[in-house]
Amino acid sequence: MNVAAGGIWQKNPSLAWREIDDETVIISPGESVMHELNDTGSFVWKNIDGQRKAEDLAALLVEQYEVTLETALADTLSLLEELYTRKLLLPAETSSGGAAL
Amino acid sequence: MRKALRPRTGAGTVVCKRFRLKLAHAILGSAIGTHVDLLIGSLPLRISSEDSSLLSAAAKRYRGFSDSQEKRFSIQVDRAEAGFSGQHEFVCDFEGARVVANATGAHFSGVRHEYALDSLLRMFLSWALLGQQGFLLHAATVVRNGKAYVFVGRSGAGKSTIASLSPRGTVLTDEISLLKRVDREWRAFGTPFWGEFRADGANTSAPVAGIFRLVQASDNLVVPLRPSELLRTMLPCVLFFSSQLGDNDRLLQILVAATEQVAGYNLQFQKNRSFWEVMPS
Repeated sequence: MNVAAGGIWQKNPSLAWREIDDETVIISPGESVMHELNDTGSFVWKNIDGQRKAEDLAALLVEQYEVTLETALADTLSLLEELYTRKLLLPAETSSGGAAL
Repeated sequence: MRKALRPRTGAGTVVCKRFRLKLAHAILGSAIGTHVDLLIGSLPLRISSEDSSLLSAAAKRYRGFSDSQEKRFSIQVDRAEAGFSGQHEFVCDFEGARVVANATGAHFSGVRHEYALDSLLRMFLSWALLGQQGFLLHAATVVRNGKAYVFVGRSGAGKSTIASLSPRGTVLTDEISLLKRVDREWRAFGTPFWGEFRADGANTSAPVAGIFRLVQASDNLVVPLRPSELLRTMLPCVLFFSSQLGDNDRLLQILVAATEQVAGYNLQFQKNRSFWEVMPS
């Protein structure tokens, strides 16, 4: 599955996670697996709220870091894809009830 | 014809024998007949079983951790397997044996030998310590000058080597350490869970001087770790068996607090006592 720029995502609610040193550690209790995000990954993770699209997240990155929107969007999509593959993200339910990818 | 009553001294001997019998019965009852009382990481436990051989093994295995407090957490141990029923806050299986636990007590079933009991006790403690700001860690702990040095690493990392190289310190354990926040201070406790070094641990505790990730090398060097690096080091070595989200969230919270409040280090060490020369005091 390819993550599209217009997709909306939410954190998998079955995960335990904490920020430490601007990094994020995520535990999947069911699989006993630990995941780590660096500072920019943590920034994106924090801002995934079930409402923001990848484009919105990239725009936030541009505000926070010295990066172009094009690069930020490409990196954001790549990260979202990785997080989705690892089952750390789920498609967000839209107000109409369907998943918005 | 009945014999005359014996003098009082003789009667006294009879009474004394009766007392001896009662005393002997009492010892039998408390040691192997009904339960074994323990204190591990300041957590008072009562292991009860109708299986005298299991209780005898437990009394011997955990003899350094016996205790006589009144109020304690009850653990019922049975050799027979038990069906799963009711609501439990913690459930975990191990090679046919099972631990189920909640806030009031625990039941270990299918416990065929003392090693299964030992495994279930570790599993149970990993869960029970959550409520006490504590956790179990694959680590050796050595007390030196009143402070606990915690050496973390998986099997083969050098925990037993460190323990054997530390004759002047009190080795609390060479395999599984118990860390717990007590009165705003992180303390390391001895456990009855040991590796190659010795068969029993010291039931005492000391404030944690630091947590050291073991790296065998040709020289001795200590490098501080950031909290995130310490967390990454510790997480794979934490004993934890619950798959419940709430338990995992609580564990992560405790570990993050520990890594932010306890100094962490990378320790490159030679296989001799010289590594103590580079240790922070």
